Amino acid sequence: MTHENVIVFDDVVRQFKRGRDTLRVLDGCRFSIPRGEFVSVIGPSGCGKSTLLNLAAGFDQADRGRVLIEGETVRGPDARRGVVFQQYAIFPWLTVRQNIAFGLTLRASRRSKESREKVTEQYIDLMGLRGFEDSYPKELSGGMRQRVAIARAYATDPHVLLMDEPFAALDAQTREQMQELLHEIQLRERRSVMFITHSVEEAIFLSHRVVVLTNRPTRVREIVEIPIPMPRQADTRLTSEFVELRRHLEHLLREEATNTRRVA
Amino acid sequence: MTSATSSTSTETAPKGGRLNGGATRAAVGKVGYGLFGALLVVVLWFLIAVTGVVGNGLVPRPDEVAVAMWQRFAHSGLLFDLRVSVTRVLIGVAVGCLIALPVGFLLAWYPRIRAVFEPLVNFFRALPPIALIPLVIVYFGIGELARISILVYASFFAAVVVLYEGISSLDPIYVRAARALGATSWEVFSRCVAPASVPHLFTALRVALGVSWATLVAAELIAASRGLGAVIQTAGNFFQIPDIYVGIILIGCCALVMDYLLKVIQARATKWQERTQR
Repeated sequence: MTHENVIVFDDVVRQFKRGRDTLRVLDGCRFSIPRGEFVSVIGPSGCGKSTLLNLAAGFDQADRGRVLIEGETVRGPDARRGVVFQQYAIFPWLTVRQNIAFGLTLRASRRSKESREKVTEQYIDLMGLRGFEDSYPKELSGGMRQRVAIARAYATDPHVLLMDEPFAALDAQTREQMQELLHEIQLRERRSVMFITHSVEEAIFLSHRVVVLTNRPTRVREIVEIPIPMPRQADTRLTSEFVELRRHLEHLLREEATNTRRVA
Repeated sequence: MTSATSSTSTETAPKGGRLNGGATRAAVGKVGYGLFGALLVVVLWFLIAVTGVVGNGLVPRPDEVAVAMWQRFAHSGLLFDLRVSVTRVLIGVAVGCLIALPVGFLLAWYPRIRAVFEPLVNFFRALPPIALIPLVIVYFGIGELARISILVYASFFAAVVVLYEGISSLDPIYVRAARALGATSWEVFSRCVAPASVPHLFTALRVALGVSWATLVAAELIAASRGLGAVIQTAGNFFQIPDIYVGIILIGCCALVMDYLLKVIQARATKWQERTQR
């Protein structure tokens, strides 16, 4: 059975206790990500983008509503969902190669040694990490660390990839290179990706569609289709279509940032 | 210049080889500075001994102490005392840390266990081992067991605090990352928590070694006839002041050498670790 929508957020509510008050972060979020699509989620700061991702990853549980991945309610983290973190989170005690192979060497993966090595070497090449495969993370730049993290997440062949502002800590130039690299990989592998970002440009460049969230308590403000054909190149960013989409999304964000909604 | 090329794979990264070469040179330089520091103290000591400004003229000159040390090595089996003490310290530290390791993991991993035992750990840690000697004599007698149990006690409480503080400082993001890759609880422990704790184990060992050497004299107060602590005791009883210095200097030197060896092993075992170099 194939599920048209790989990730489904069904009326998700999540609130946190803060002293005596409860802070309602997500207030009935409802959207889904179709198979093979790259979907970005943007919204004003503090609106709960990362909370959404934590729910999908299984690090956190919704207070109401459901998060479904391939038709199943998420109960906890597992290898069918790859996660890429903003802080890279690659293991400093392992080399680049060992980091990429980490998921493959766990009991859950059940792979032969040959296939493990093949996949690992393939991602070392794909991510441009050849020559650094025996280096420890401390010897790598931020961009390279994040490439290791992405390779590690892809290597276990997860059906769904969840990325939490993976390029936020990178400088502008490295960031664009990483976007282009990720775009290439996406075109090749066609995974279903949920990509959290605060950069409108990044969201448009990478995505099939962009989910815009409201300010807290958060709902979906609008889902914007990005009709720009793929593959996209560096100068796609300069086309009038791109700029027009950017204007629209930035307008939505600005409106939400100044607009504080009341809890009903 | 690394900025001339523009493909994605040319970001700069520090070269491992150059870094290590520099570190080795820095280490050699450090030893040099350390020797210089020791020389300064010896000179100062010599001046004090010769002028007699402090100590009522009872401060022996460094060369007198050196002669006493030579005599003791040659005629009264100082090497044996040294070996006895080193063995006691090693056993005490090994046993203490071996117990501290699982206890440290438990305290770090289970907040409830920690809530129950942390105050107790701090209570016992604060007790000076010397204060326990009468009780140790009552329960363990005056044999080797009594002396080593004091050292085990001292190193356990020193190590356990370092271990659980260190282990619980593990960034939870690594645990999340491992879980998201499909790791079981056991795999999270064996593949993340354990390797990330290795540096803390080394720190714990070094702290325990320091504390154990400091406790040695106390442990050897328990009717020991051999060992560096006993050397100091007997020399004190017979007013052989240079011999007291011999014992004290040897204890310091042993602690220094062991700490240095541990540091070298640690640098090799945790090559992956980021160190701030100043």
